[in-house]
Amino acid sequence: MPLVTEAERFIRSDGPDKVTGSGRYVADLSLTGMLTAKFLYAGVPHARITKLDVEPARQMSGVFAVITQDDVPERRFGSVADRTLFAQDVVRFEGEVIAAVAAIDDDSAQRAIDAIVFEYEELPPLTDLEEAIKDGALLVHENWESYAAGSVVRDGNVASFTSIERGDVDEGLADSDHVITSRYVADASHAAPIEPRGVVAQWEGDRVTIWSSTQVPFQARDGVCETLDLPSNRVRVVVPHLGGGFGGKCGFHYEAHVAALARAARRPVRLVFSREEEFLAPDRRREGMIVEITTGMTNDGDIKARKAKVLLDNGAYSADSSFFPHMAAMHAIGPYVIENVSAEASSIYTNHQPSGSVRAPTAPQGCWAVESHTDELAAAIGMDPVEFRKRNCVDTGRMSATGQVFDEIGLQQCLSDAVDGLGDISNLPEDESIGVGVGWWGSFPGASGAYVKIDSDGRGVIITGAQECGTGSVMTLPILVAKELGMDPDDFELVYQDTSAAPYDSGATGSQTILNNGRATVEAAQQVAAQLKDLAAKELEAAPEDIVLVDGRAHVAGSPEAAVDISRLARIASRGEMLLGRGSGTPAEYPSAVGVSCVGDQDLSWWVGPQFSCHAARIRLDRDTGVVRVLEVSTAHDSGVIINEVGAAGQVEGGVLMGIGQALTEGTVYSEDGGQLNPAFLDYKLQTIADAPRIKTSFVEVHTPGMGPHGSKPIAEAPNVATAAAISNAIAKLIGRPVRQLPMTAERVWAEARS
Amino acid sequence: MSESLSLTVNGVAYSVNVDMGRNLLSVLRGELGLTGTKEGCDDCECGACMVLIDGKPVNSCSFLAVQAADRSVTTIEGVVTPEGLDQVQQAFLEKGGVQCGFCTPGMIMSARALLDQCPDPSEEEIKIGLSGNLCRCTGYSRILAAVALAAAAD
Repeated sequence: MPLVTEAERFIRSDGPDKVTGSGRYVADLSLTGMLTAKFLYAGVPHARITKLDVEPARQMSGVFAVITQDDVPERRFGSVADRTLFAQDVVRFEGEVIAAVAAIDDDSAQRAIDAIVFEYEELPPLTDLEEAIKDGALLVHENWESYAAGSVVRDGNVASFTSIERGDVDEGLADSDHVITSRYVADASHAAPIEPRGVVAQWEGDRVTIWSSTQVPFQARDGVCETLDLPSNRVRVVVPHLGGGFGGKCGFHYEAHVAALARAARRPVRLVFSREEEFLAPDRRREGMIVEITTGMTNDGDIKARKAKVLLDNGAYSADSSFFPHMAAMHAIGPYVIENVSAEASSIYTNHQPSGSVRAPTAPQGCWAVESHTDELAAAIGMDPVEFRKRNCVDTGRMSATGQVFDEIGLQQCLSDAVDGLGDISNLPEDESIGVGVGWWGSFPGASGAYVKIDSDGRGVIITGAQECGTGSVMTLPILVAKELGMDPDDFELVYQDTSAAPYDSGATGSQTILNNGRATVEAAQQVAAQLKDLAAKELEAAPEDIVLVDGRAHVAGSPEAAVDISRLARIASRGEMLLGRGSGTPAEYPSAVGVSCVGDQDLSWWVGPQFSCHAARIRLDRDTGVVRVLEVSTAHDSGVIINEVGAAGQVEGGVLMGIGQALTEGTVYSEDGGQLNPAFLDYKLQTIADAPRIKTSFVEVHTPGMGPHGSKPIAEAPNVATAAAISNAIAKLIGRPVRQLPMTAERVWAEARS
Repeated sequence: MSESLSLTVNGVAYSVNVDMGRNLLSVLRGELGLTGTKEGCDDCECGACMVLIDGKPVNSCSFLAVQAADRSVTTIEGVVTPEGLDQVQQAFLEKGGVQCGFCTPGMIMSARALLDQCPDPSEEEIKIGLSGNLCRCTGYSRILAAVALAAAAD
């Protein structure tokens, strides 16, 4: 049962700011003397710069600074250090920043941008993944070998590569009764938070404060330090309210550009993106993907072997995409028991916008491909696809394809619960069908810190490095602290998303906030609880270990009549030791891989605390138009014990709707030369409330030790894994074959139904 | 070309000098300091900039400030009553209809306009009334429930 159930109506503490409009986001901030920033973008996917002259812009009235790569240190950054803040010599995608302007107002800034002399010689764009890995292909980065890249395995246009091998896949396929090969292609898509990103920077002496719409303030700070050559204690990154991220605002984005502009202009500077810039410029779109899978199985439906090859569109630079091949290989294998596997995945440089972590990177497309393939396997032997999955999916005590034996997990129960959640599906109309997909996703233990203090009036503050991106994770921390201290969550305020106020946290990324910062915050609260018990023991003339903290009071267990208020203890403490706890929650260790070999290992073959899910979708197809309407999605998730049911269910519902968008409408359309043709909500269609189906949410609450507080696992990304797969399988049932390209637009469904 | 313009926003009369080409959203946010109304797309597609003009919902990004002259403009800042939160605002909090909150002001304005015109809406009517507002976080289930709750409480 969740720690706080839906019925208890926990109201998040940032809610009143948000419903009244009083909450401030970056674009709402205004500082005295503040200037407006604008960027000059490449505008072409691939070109050699022949002339860049910013002097005409610098001479214009109302213009305070114009900067290029010549004005910042020569530093490369990224998971492969292949990028500089501004383009240098060659531009590799249309949204690459050439120069930045700070001016008195929008119009002056735009005039300055227009006055910059930027000339170039166009180079042939590389946009086709399979062409890019052919011998003799044009190199997107001619000097790729000179880039720092840690342990990333690379070769020319292959920006990163991972393989997973176990058993003997050729022998396994040869021994199979049926061998099925499938190919699936996913278009790139976008995180598309409703708030376009913004950055404000202000220098005071040699210190800069940067307000940024980032999901990862510490990473943003470190990026500024690295690229502008500054010590970390001179750079403070603060996030006001953040209007969604979905991974799109992870990483290091423009904080350094704006800080450098503000330093040059000697004024505060604010950058706010338009929607078009939000589509074109950030190095965080969901990667396009080609997946080829071959699976061998017996007549009885036992999978014997799987071979998979995945190509990912890395785009022009490698912000954080170096781990994507390993993740994609894991999704191509899927949560199945397979003795013989061989999976290879490569992230390929192209002249497209760079790919980066968007909510469960590689998973929705990878799951869509492997789960559509799974239904093809079941169909080949006439087996019910749910039965086929129950037979082959991992379970408690069974060994995964990478040799991992799971402790207690709930995938099989998720399968049953999700399908049962659709109710009676025996007599569907002829234009309706259901489909099922199962998914998995890792948990990412890491370092994180927090403080908890209680002031003299008995009210508390949680000071945390964690970042709230909208999910409610940070808003949930008072529940955890209050439980440790026998107090009410409303007794606690939060100081958060400020790199100078709190210890490190990796940010709203990898669904890790409750997992890591929750653990840290609980540890800090436990220190305060121990202090309170010592103080209460003195007041009550008892032993500290006999004291319990309940309903704002401390008393000896079993003797509630002799109690002392926590507020009184807080007053006593304020005159001396003070109630102050610190936590840094030691992360769980990853198990080491056994029996699996991995080239380009990114520590993802074995997942500590993996999450599992099953989504079942009921759809209706209009055969005349190809329009698919999703009527209902029933979900079941093993994300461990649920902390806050409203928050967790909200993540599932939002993830499902994003999944429906990816399934049916959300795909970037490129011109032949690599430019985006639909960088606007008019042409890149998010789902509306009118499109939204009924979503049924159930949780298989497997208590998972050693992970998040109270046996919890993460939840934010996992619901974004299996929806497109479920919809794909429902469509395939109606038209007799899968639609092999994502999104499965009405046009593609219509064409496939008639082919 | 700048001209003097009279605007009444949340019952307060303002006189501002603005370029006649300025949209209402930029004047509300830039000149009047009412930043509760958000800009998400500047293209009438997301609804984050929704305000009421004489009680009717309008995307203020695509509505000239001059068009609002001598009409009554209500923004999210004008929804709170002297007694506290409006029923719609309260319902969004209670039902978990708020996550990142960036779409929330626009959602609440559309919901308020719907309920003022149609106090007891069906599920379908709520969906139509809010179909011009994009939310990327919630999946809309809890927004739907919030508007239904507010309708019941109004």
